[in-house]
Amino acid sequence: MKKLLAVTLGILTAIGGFVDIGDLVTNALVGARFGMHMAWVVVVGVIGICLYAEMSGRVVAISGRPVFDLIRERLGPQTGLVTLVASFLVTLLTLIAEIGGIALAFELASGVHYLLWMPLAVFAVWLVIWRVKFSRLEQVFGLLGLLLIVFAVALFKLGPDWGNLLSQATSPHPIGSENWATYAYYGIALFGAAMTPYEVFFFTSGGVEEKWTRRDLVTARTNVFVGFPLGGLLSLSIMGCAAVLFLPAGIQVGTLGQVTLPVAVALGKLGLAVVLIGVFAATFGAALETALSCGYTIAQYRGWQWGKFVRPREASRFHVVIIICLVLAMLTLVTAVDPVKVTEYSVVFAAMALPLTYLPILIIANDPDYVGANTNGRLRNAFGLFYLGLLVVASLAAIPLMILTKAGQ
Amino acid sequence: MTMAGRVLHAQLHLLDRQLIDQADGHLAGKVDDVVLDLDADPPVVTALVSARREISARRITDLGTAVTVDAEGLDLDRYDDRVERAVIDKIPGAGHAAE
Repeated sequence: MKKLLAVTLGILTAIGGFVDIGDLVTNALVGARFGMHMAWVVVVGVIGICLYAEMSGRVVAISGRPVFDLIRERLGPQTGLVTLVASFLVTLLTLIAEIGGIALAFELASGVHYLLWMPLAVFAVWLVIWRVKFSRLEQVFGLLGLLLIVFAVALFKLGPDWGNLLSQATSPHPIGSENWATYAYYGIALFGAAMTPYEVFFFTSGGVEEKWTRRDLVTARTNVFVGFPLGGLLSLSIMGCAAVLFLPAGIQVGTLGQVTLPVAVALGKLGLAVVLIGVFAATFGAALETALSCGYTIAQYRGWQWGKFVRPREASRFHVVIIICLVLAMLTLVTAVDPVKVTEYSVVFAAMALPLTYLPILIIANDPDYVGANTNGRLRNAFGLFYLGLLVVASLAAIPLMILTKAGQ
Repeated sequence: MTMAGRVLHAQLHLLDRQLIDQADGHLAGKVDDVVLDLDADPPVVTALVSARREISARRITDLGTAVTVDAEGLDLDRYDDRVERAVIDKIPGAGHAAE
């Protein structure tokens, strides 16, 4: 019974923790412009993140070492450093976007400008990292993030033509005034949003924080294979809401208010209240994850003591990195850069950094030194290589497409 | 336990590995380099180098996915201590476990 509870809790946390500002904005934006014609990318992305999260979970549970620790070991200091710099910068950019998201959620709830909320958001994120236990932080925000299910409820309440949505989803091509270049550009953005690198850094470091062993492997796998796909369904309902409400009206999504609008239209004030709490939890949870991941990547590359399983003074440099990153996030947002735009760029840059993150995981998951007899089978390697190919194509195409489409305009 | 005579691929099994301090289990840096005695036949690893400190191979107590060493007196976490004194200890709660 206790075990069942733990598994259920893990799954719920994984669902709630799946969606972050990148998923919220990109899915709504894509739904408004392309309807469900790009829904397949979410499916491809979710399978990819499941595949690689399972591999990295296995590595951690058996070797007790998190991803970045091993990236340097396997790639050497130079290539490892390139991976570190790319992954760190993308994670920092994501952190900036998440902090902006928290502040925007407060602006929507209160009417007070988000820049006034922003320092408070930064301080709250730091305080939680400084004081709250790892398992508690993960559960609270994961479970609160489940409130985003309200998007699925809203979709039903909007009473869409399901046949039409389905036929959109099964015909993957650009529509209206969109062309293949913008279609591909947003496809890459959506892919990047689903497979953001920080997810594996956080997932594997979390495994060490929670002292996983071989026995936790089943729990970890259930969380990944059940929780992430259900989280993907949340993403799809956000897209669906935008496809139903905005696409026919020809409205483009450019603010967080528009992302949540379908829920308000379908379910009124109560729905809006619920979705705002959900958005807050999702962005706050992801801000914690990205801030921690900034510290995890650098500390693990350098071999410093890291983690919330020791007192802050025992992992001084880890905590200083997090504080510096939060200050950098604040300074960037103070320039009044649009957090929604930052989010759009962060998912595309994430897509560019993906092969660097996932190649080492594929290598390590095949190394008996780390995973003993539990190396990847042929099937997993076939899928792993296929996805690596996809990631390389997405990574190489991202910048040319960004220039060609003027970032999707 | 001594590691004498164990045949290892120094680059694969030692370089860039995580160091763990045997005393408290704390992470204590990476193996940045190894010192070899080339006169011996076959050449043997006499020391590890981390954060510009030499750690004699005799101090290695365990070799797994990380390298556990007896770090007594080596002060491997001196940089962490410096940051601790300069910044982290000034913030309330630095010595408390999370709740």
